Amino acid sequence: MKLLKCIPIAALALLNILLSGCASTEKQSLYDEIGGHKTLNTVYGVAITRIYTDPVIGHYFKGVPKKHLRDQLVLQTCELIGGPCEYDGKSMLESHKGLNIKEREFYILVEYVQGAMRDVGLTYRQENRILKKLAPIKYETVYL
Amino acid sequence: MIKRLLLPLLFLSPLVNADSGSRLIASGGITGFEGTAGGGITPWAFISGYTSKEEISYSANVQYLSLNDYSLTTAGAGISLFDRVEISIQRQRLDISAGLTSNVFALLTEGAVTNANSTTIEQDIVGAKVKLFGDGVFTQNSWAPQIALGAQYKKNRDVDSSLSLPDGTVPLPEIGVPLLLGAKDDSGIDIYLSATKLWLGTPSGYNLLTNLTARYTKANVFGLLGFGAEGNDNAKVEWEGSVAVLISPTTAIGTEFRTQTNRLGGLAEEDTVIDAFIAYFPNKSISITAAYVDLGNLPLQESSSGFYLTVNGNF
Repeated sequence: MKLLKCIPIAALALLNILLSGCASTEKQSLYDEIGGHKTLNTVYGVAITRIYTDPVIGHYFKGVPKKHLRDQLVLQTCELIGGPCEYDGKSMLESHKGLNIKEREFYILVEYVQGAMRDVGLTYRQENRILKKLAPIKYETVYL
Repeated sequence: MIKRLLLPLLFLSPLVNADSGSRLIASGGITGFEGTAGGGITPWAFISGYTSKEEISYSANVQYLSLNDYSLTTAGAGISLFDRVEISIQRQRLDISAGLTSNVFALLTEGAVTNANSTTIEQDIVGAKVKLFGDGVFTQNSWAPQIALGAQYKKNRDVDSSLSLPDGTVPLPEIGVPLLLGAKDDSGIDIYLSATKLWLGTPSGYNLLTNLTARYTKANVFGLLGFGAEGNDNAKVEWEGSVAVLISPTTAIGTEFRTQTNRLGGLAEEDTVIDAFIAYFPNKSISITAAYVDLGNLPLQESSSGFYLTVNGNF
């Protein structure tokens, strides 16, 4: 039975080797890897079109110019994933204050961004690495 | 009991969003064989289904585990409230083959009786889990896990269900398998604390889930063989863990372990349970999980391993 106890650990170690074996060893930023500004701009273009027409969260964006939001999101994501950008817009906390955005609404938006990344052709692994960087934004947007 | 529990909540549901929920797919785990969300054999700190703070969802599950002379069938339902509380009920049925019960009698009577009927042991579990703090999915800028505290009230329905022989006689009246093996009680409460974290983009862009659970219990083989033992009636802390990798948006593979205290000893010696699973989440309404489970020793079956299949629905 002692041997059996080691199996989960051994399996995990093996999995780690298998999964990391195919990772590139070059130190390219995630931003460059996905195709930089052009790709991010397409992703948010696709996501924003869907977000603006969503029956649940669309209303939050009434009066917000699409182009402005898109540029801000691209800039912010660029900075978060190692691109040569510096987000200089309003802080997330500031821009969501008083909106009382619900968790459900935040998740809906996340799924639009996730879906857009997939539709634009980012790989599942790139998508996850970007989400990792975007995820903490949840606490700068909901219930403020 | 069930009706009283669920009815008020049904009235509540029109006030909130009660589809399967808005959380990210696969982030509710699956429903384990004890009715609690997590892996197949261990609870996680995640609340079942995909509810956000504003949502309620319901779940239903069935499991089947085949272990040669034993097979375990379980089914249950649960409700998930506002990504905070999870309540579940589960019925488990352990079928024990006639071959095995015959061996029990052969052993007890030193070979005088060699034929007995098959038997079943049923157990009911009412579970409740509360998320205490943390966000295991979105707090990606820190290592902090999500923590939940839970309890499973377990009632074994067959500790005193006598075994019968093919001619209808009952040589040991009011002594079921758990009592025969030395169990003391027919019910008990497991208390557990779970720490769960999803590591997005790790390793190499996949998503990794890690979970560690400490369970305070005096159940013998999850309670299927009763609770406590004559001469050893203390609850003990058991350790359980899960590691899973989401290899695609809809597929997770992983492995789990769960320690058990060898309270009854003898025939009913208990080993650490391990499994390896693959779970498929085609959408938020359903998941299908297949696993290979190794329980180690069960009474008169030294090496008990087999396939486990579970289907979960969320609505």
